[in-house]
Amino acid sequence: MSRLKTILLVATWDLMKLRNQKVFVAMRLAWFTVQVLVFARAISYIVTRTVENYTGGVEYYYFYILGVYTTLLYSTSIARGYMVAEEFDDGIVEYHLSLPVKRSTLAIGRVLGGGVSTLIFTLPMMIIVYTVLRVRDPVIVAISLASALVFSAGVVSLVILLVFTIKSTDLTDIIVGAIDALLVRLSTVFYPLPVIASTGIAPYYVAATLNPISHMSDFLRILVFPEYYLVAPYGPLASILYLVGFSMGLLLLAIEFYEKKLETGGWR
Amino acid sequence: MEVIYDFFELTTQAYTVALRDLKRFWQNIYWLAGQVAMNIADLLIFGLIFRGIVRPDLIPDYIRFITPGILCLSIFISSFTIGREVGVELRREVTHYLVSLPITRGALVAGRVLGGVLRGLMYQVGFLILAVLIMTPPTLDKWILILAASIFISVTMSSLSITLVTLTRDFNIQAAIRSLVYFVFFFMSNVFYPERALRARLGPVAPVALYSPVSMAVTIYRYGFGYSTEVDLVFNTAGLLLWSTATVLLAYKLYIRNLRR
Repeated sequence: MSRLKTILLVATWDLMKLRNQKVFVAMRLAWFTVQVLVFARAISYIVTRTVENYTGGVEYYYFYILGVYTTLLYSTSIARGYMVAEEFDDGIVEYHLSLPVKRSTLAIGRVLGGGVSTLIFTLPMMIIVYTVLRVRDPVIVAISLASALVFSAGVVSLVILLVFTIKSTDLTDIIVGAIDALLVRLSTVFYPLPVIASTGIAPYYVAATLNPISHMSDFLRILVFPEYYLVAPYGPLASILYLVGFSMGLLLLAIEFYEKKLETGGWR
Repeated sequence: MEVIYDFFELTTQAYTVALRDLKRFWQNIYWLAGQVAMNIADLLIFGLIFRGIVRPDLIPDYIRFITPGILCLSIFISSFTIGREVGVELRREVTHYLVSLPITRGALVAGRVLGGVLRGLMYQVGFLILAVLIMTPPTLDKWILILAASIFISVTMSSLSITLVTLTRDFNIQAAIRSLVYFVFFFMSNVFYPERALRARLGPVAPVALYSPVSMAVTIYRYGFGYSTEVDLVFNTAGLLLWSTATVLLAYKLYIRNLRR
C-alpha cells in the first residue's frame, strides 16, 4: 500500500469515530449557541461604541463571534487529547504501534484525521457564525475552511505530544484544561490588540501577539471584514505564515516523537 | 436515643469521607495553583480591560462588578472537582471498594457532597479576602449572608457535579457536560452583565437568568460587599436553599443507583 493511502486510512479511522460523537456535537452546538446568542449579544450591549475605533468600525458583536468560533475550533482540537487519553486507557495505542505502518505515517494520519474531524465537528457552528455575518462569498468560505484545517492540525499535534508525554488520564484532564483556558484568555478573542496594549501589561500584550488563537481569529476577521486590516497589528499574510509555521513545526515534532520516543506502557 | 446515635454515626462517617476528599484536593497542588492564577487573571484581565470599554452608565466600575462573579466562579471550579473524582472512580470501578467500606451508602454520598462543599469554601477564602480589599468590607450580618450563600452554592455545585458525572462513564462526555453547565449557568446569569443588558438582548426570556443559582449567589454577594443596596434577599436566599435541596436529593438518588450497578 502506498504511503499516501496508509495516511488516508489512518485519517479515515479517526473520521469514523465522529459517528459515535453525535451527543458530543449536540452539546457543543448547544453551548456555542448560548455563547453566540446570549453571552455575545449581552456583552456587546455593555461595550461602548468607542471600541469600534480599535476594530476598524466592525461592530463588537461581529468581532467577538469570529473569536468565539476560533475558540471552539481550538477547544475541539484540544479535546482530541481526551480521546487519545481514552485510547491509551483502552490499549488502542499499543494496537496502533503494532500495525505494519510506519510510525511517521501513523503520526501524519492521526494529525490529519484529527484536524479534519475538528473541521467537520465545528462546521455547524461555522454555518451559524457565517449566517449571522451574512458571508456568502464561496472564496471566503473556502479560505476560512483551509485556514481552520491548518490551525486545528497544529493544535492536534500539540495535544498528541502532550498526552503521550504526560501518560496519565487525570493529569491530561488537568493540564489540557489549564492550557485550554489559559491560551484563550491570553488572546484577542475577547478584545482587539490595541485595547490590550492600552492596559500597559506588556507580557499580556506579547503573549496575545504570539498566540496562535489571536492570529487565527484576526485572520478570519480580516477575511470577513477587510476594514479590520486597517487596525490589525499584523497582516493576513503574516498570520497565515505564522499559522503554517506553527502547524508544520508541531507536526514535525509529533512525527519525531512518534518515531523516536513513543513507548507504550506506563500509563497512569 | 437510637435515632440520635444513628445520626451521630452518619455524621462521623460522612465527615471521615469528606476529610479524605479534602486531603486529595490539596494533593493536586499544581492544578490548584493554576486555577487560582486563572481566577485572578480573570479578575484582573477581564476586569481591567472591560473597565475601559464598558458603558459607564450601565457599570461604573467593572472590576467591582465582576468580583462577586469571580467569587461564584471559584466555588464552581473547586466544588465541581468532586464530580471529576467520582467520575474517575466510576470509570475505574473504585466504587466496588467504596461500597465495601464499613459505612452506610447514605453517609458515603453525604461525605462526598460535604467534601465538595469544604473544597469550595476553602478555595474561596482567598478570593473573599480579595473581595474585601477591592469592595466595601461587609458588616457582621452581611458576612452571615455571604457565608450562607457560599454554603448553598457549593452544596448545589458539588451535588450537581456528582449528578451529572453519574449520567455517563464516557470521559469525553463528562468533560463536555462540565463545560456545558458552566456556559449555561454563567452566561445565563448576571455575572458578566447587569440584568438590564439581559432584558435588552433576551427580552421575555431574560427573567430565566434570575432563577439561576449563580445569579442568586452573585446578587447576595453584591449586596454583602456593598455594590447593590436594594435586593430581594428572601427570594435569593430561599431560591438558593431550594436549589441546594433539589440537587442534593438528585445526587443522592443517582449516585446510589450507580453504586448498586
